[in-house]
Amino acid sequence: MTKFRENNHLVGYLFTAPFIIGFLIFTMFPMLASLYYSFTDYNLFEAPNWVGFDNYKTMFSGDDQYWKSVRVTFTYVLASVPLRLAFALAVAMLLNKAIGGIGLYRSAYYLPSLIGGSVAVSIMWTQVFGDKGLLNSFLGLLGIHTTTSWIGSPGTAIWTLIALSVWQFGSSMLIFLAGLKSIPASLHEAANVDGAGAGRRFFKITLPMLSPIILFNLIMQTISAFMTFTPAYVISRGEGGPLDSTLLYSLYLYKRAFQFTQMGYASAMAWVMLLTVGVIALILFQTSKYWVHYESKGES
Amino acid sequence: MKKITTTLVAASLMIGLAACGSGNNGGNASNAAASGSAGSTGSAGSSASATAKTDDKPVTVRVAWWGGQSRHDYTLKVIDMYEKLHPNVTIEPEYAAFDDYWKKLAPQAAANQLPDVIQMDISYLNQYAGRNQLADLTPYTESGKLDVSSVAEPTLAGGKIDGKLYAMNAGSNALTMMVDPAMLKSLGIEEPAADKGWTWDEFAALGDKAKAEGKLLFSDLRHDVFFPFYLRGQGQLMYAADGTKLGYDDDKFFIDYYTKYREWYNKGYTMSLDKLSQSKGTPEEDLVALGTALSSNQWSNQFIGISTAAKRELDLLPVPGWDSNKALFLKPSMYFTVANSSKVKDAAIDFINYFINDVEANKVILGERGVPVSSKVQEAIRPNLTPEQTKVFDYVAWAEKNSSEMNPPNPVGAVEVDALLKAEVEKILYKQVTVEKGAAEFREKANAILAKNK
Repeated sequence: MTKFRENNHLVGYLFTAPFIIGFLIFTMFPMLASLYYSFTDYNLFEAPNWVGFDNYKTMFSGDDQYWKSVRVTFTYVLASVPLRLAFALAVAMLLNKAIGGIGLYRSAYYLPSLIGGSVAVSIMWTQVFGDKGLLNSFLGLLGIHTTTSWIGSPGTAIWTLIALSVWQFGSSMLIFLAGLKSIPASLHEAANVDGAGAGRRFFKITLPMLSPIILFNLIMQTISAFMTFTPAYVISRGEGGPLDSTLLYSLYLYKRAFQFTQMGYASAMAWVMLLTVGVIALILFQTSKYWVHYESKGES
Repeated sequence: MKKITTTLVAASLMIGLAACGSGNNGGNASNAAASGSAGSTGSAGSSASATAKTDDKPVTVRVAWWGGQSRHDYTLKVIDMYEKLHPNVTIEPEYAAFDDYWKKLAPQAAANQLPDVIQMDISYLNQYAGRNQLADLTPYTESGKLDVSSVAEPTLAGGKIDGKLYAMNAGSNALTMMVDPAMLKSLGIEEPAADKGWTWDEFAALGDKAKAEGKLLFSDLRHDVFFPFYLRGQGQLMYAADGTKLGYDDDKFFIDYYTKYREWYNKGYTMSLDKLSQSKGTPEEDLVALGTALSSNQWSNQFIGISTAAKRELDLLPVPGWDSNKALFLKPSMYFTVANSSKVKDAAIDFINYFINDVEANKVILGERGVPVSSKVQEAIRPNLTPEQTKVFDYVAWAEKNSSEMNPPNPVGAVEVDALLKAEVEKILYKQVTVEKGAAEFREKANAILAKNK
């Protein structure tokens, strides 16, 4: 019996081997290597020299562009994640109605997410928000004539990125939709009988019942927002401009790594990012006990 | 009912799989076809060739360059011609746009997998040569494998670092001002003499006139090109000879140049930054080609692309200088280098030699990479040139006589300094800092970057 069990373990390992080997080679090893490089002056060309915490010191005290990119990234995350979740929930509630052809609507609303992270959409975005773009033509129809390039102006560029992010609400929406469907209809019916209005039902039933899913979406979207790269790269043509206003953290990291070939510094940046995002995810988990409602725990 | 569903799902899955399978097959088939055709051109070449001089062991040479579509097209053609002459040589082309090219090359260097022949830019030359990535070509020029007998010494010098020839000049370039004579005429502006051009002040004085007609003076002047050019005019250098700091100490030069530049910008003589940030810098987007600016200030080899895009006659004028001390200079438009890690250096050199010296090849290249450095080739291909190309050749010949020696290649870290300069000037133009503050900030930060070279 014992032997059979051990064999069983072996089979288990065998089946997971492709993942484990892949993980060790393609994730674990590069991560450890980058941790090592973050303490060196590795420049891709010459053997790395150990520099201790120099990269980290420069980052925190001698690189104002770094702090600029941190500010830009937090602006982006703090604006795009709540807006995106709110939008996703609103659309999910609309699509939760039993009307004809709902499947078609769901697919249509999910479409932007399928293609959203792609280069093509980012290029389309530059057309929409450019100086002769769709938005300006539309404003022109309303009698507001402007030739400002929304993407080229320091004040508005980051907001075009945020708008792009909000537009890609599909995956969160799908998860919200599944969550909404799992809320027992009897709760709403009972509340209805007791005379609760739509708003009250939303805040007292839908939101609490949905809160575990909100937490999940919040954490996933926060992490992915911190890692956003493609749209900023494409829209600012790899620069993070104008005036570094779209210099998202990962874009700045990329510039350091591949434009200036400062792999050591870029590795250090990557580790600070990893730790920061980790801490933020942890904080979100910690706060969850105050606002996330789990049915199994009984009433809250 | 359930059974039917299962069958349907299973069927659709199978169809899906089958589609995937055939897709893969299709891919393989087309690959096979491609390699087959490559092979056949090779064998066709072998029957035709009699001139192959290297021994017949098959070698594969990786050749990398950056450029636009037209450059890719004719370079592939030249490669084809070379392969026909040398049936044992297979050339693997690797090409990309300028920005992507460097982002690809750096990791290749890290992996010790640089292409054998690498097209090189002056901004990156030190970064690669100084870090031992490039082979010294001197032994090959001495042995005649790389024939430089008809290349003038100053033309070669641009590829030398510490006396060693790391990079072979692929063509000569000079800064120039491109104008549309018909447009100038319609604005009532008299074109200056072809061997004099305007001064910047004379040209800037046309700004209001141009603006009234809805035209700009130019889109912009590239900071990493024109600020060093201005410094040359003042007898200063952008970088100190040892590359550990900027070549100037006095902020006055920065302040003078960018006070003027800001004035032009604020008066609306140049393209606003928000629009500039979205222009890709292709010849099709060039403002002279589009007819919305009086001039385009560029490297001379760009003239071909821009006049093609303009579809009308354009002229080349001497780029306005800041005074008459021959600040103008000839610059290698680009170089060819050989990777130190290359195992087929001889074959790589032979290909470069072909590109530089072969007349038939240059009848295809036609100076697109700058005016050929070999005087023999220059003479031989003149009859084949279009009028536009002739203008470029004439201008570079004129410039050669009216210029001084170029600055040494930029030091390691110059790419970062260039980016810093652009960012700092944007801050000035967006009125976030004064010119004085920007000048000081730039000098301090640039010196900090360059100090790493100590």
